[in-house]
Amino acid sequence: MATPNNTGAGPCGAACKRLCLIGLALMVAACQQSMSLKVASEVPVPLMTQLPLSLGVLYDEPLRNYVYEEDSEERSNWKIDSGASHVALFERILPAMFREVTEVAGAPAGAGVDAVLVPSVAEMQFALPHETKTDFYEAWIKYEMTLQDPQGERIAAWLVTGYGKSSTEFMKSRDKGLNAAVNQALRDAGARFALGFPRVAAVKTWLADQTGGGQSFPNDRPQ
Amino acid sequence: MIDARGLKSLLRGAARAPLLALLLLAGCKSATVINEHREAATTALSGDESIVVLGRRHSASHETEEDFISCVGKTLGQGQSELKVIPEKAFVDTMYPYFETSTAPMDVRNLDKLMQIPAIAAKFEGLKVRYFVWIDGATERTDSTGSVACAVGPAGGGCFGFAYWEDEANYEASIWDFRELSLSGKINAETKGTSFMPAVIIPIPMLARVQANACKSLSNQLRNFFSLPAS
Repeated sequence: MATPNNTGAGPCGAACKRLCLIGLALMVAACQQSMSLKVASEVPVPLMTQLPLSLGVLYDEPLRNYVYEEDSEERSNWKIDSGASHVALFERILPAMFREVTEVAGAPAGAGVDAVLVPSVAEMQFALPHETKTDFYEAWIKYEMTLQDPQGERIAAWLVTGYGKSSTEFMKSRDKGLNAAVNQALRDAGARFALGFPRVAAVKTWLADQTGGGQSFPNDRPQ
Repeated sequence: MIDARGLKSLLRGAARAPLLALLLLAGCKSATVINEHREAATTALSGDESIVVLGRRHSASHETEEDFISCVGKTLGQGQSELKVIPEKAFVDTMYPYFETSTAPMDVRNLDKLMQIPAIAAKFEGLKVRYFVWIDGATERTDSTGSVACAVGPAGGGCFGFAYWEDEANYEASIWDFRELSLSGKINAETKGTSFMPAVIIPIPMLARVQANACKSLSNQLRNFFSLPAS
């Protein structure tokens, strides 16, 4: 004889089945590899002496809207939006390096600036702890920097890289871990750019021309 | 229904439980070995001078934990001496971009080169930094065995099993004298400990606080190095 709880569908009743389905849905949600992350960065104001120059900076659309996208077996539907963080990084660093920084809409910028800097993201890479068998989330950024004169002629072009890692602390989510690693990579790239700028051979020559030669650059750490 | 024999057995088991717990607690102790190497005599810090405690993070294999550096800084700042310790993040942010992982000086002689940059010299002057303490190391799990299995069913849930693991903390602190621009000394702290987790319905973790003990030992040795009373 069937009781109200035993409808002939086995030992698990309707409530029990609902619980199992919720549990299964939660497990599937936890296991899926998709990611949609908007990077929140925080880079300090550099401690630098400004160069006596006026710089124009061009943040083009590919930089402003940079999104890392990957849809592979291991990384299904990954979207990491870091465009705003790249712009924020240069907005923080450049005013500390130059006497005057003006955002320009395009090249050539014309009169009013000594040169125009065009930063662009050449590449970004990420690694998760289970992929590298380490306890770290890792991020790499490679920027392609171009310095142009006000007429749009190239003065120098060079690469700036940044690396960051973040440990897998207790209860830290994948998104938080990756965000911390990207933030570290942005800081590193910013530091390398700021300190490396006067050491790029073509930039060094241009700086000497601009400043009349013979000037030592106050932020250039002696080797 | 429990009979007399069952009750006797249960009571005997209950009487043994504290003994077992005591044995396990005794087992989850940790031991620390400290080595100190002094290159030069340290002079006592004057009231307005400060110390910076920083972590090295350039190695691919490990990263000195931020919470360990914070723990050493806080422990050094405790006590009657009121040693002024500048927090790591505040210092690195203030000195950006010169103390990032890829740009920080690796040798005390490079501090002299940094001081040739006017902005850096002025900042150091303002902070009144006397000593840099660079800490390199990490706490790692060296061994683990056993397992605890948990299950949940309509009638309730519980865990059963036994697990234990060994952690090892190894940190080296290099002390740089900013006034003399020389290495004052090095202190190495090595702590080992075993933790247990028996589970009969409820898991009971008995943890050897390896990293916390390494922090305390290293901090006390640093206080001794700077001729301060132990905290």
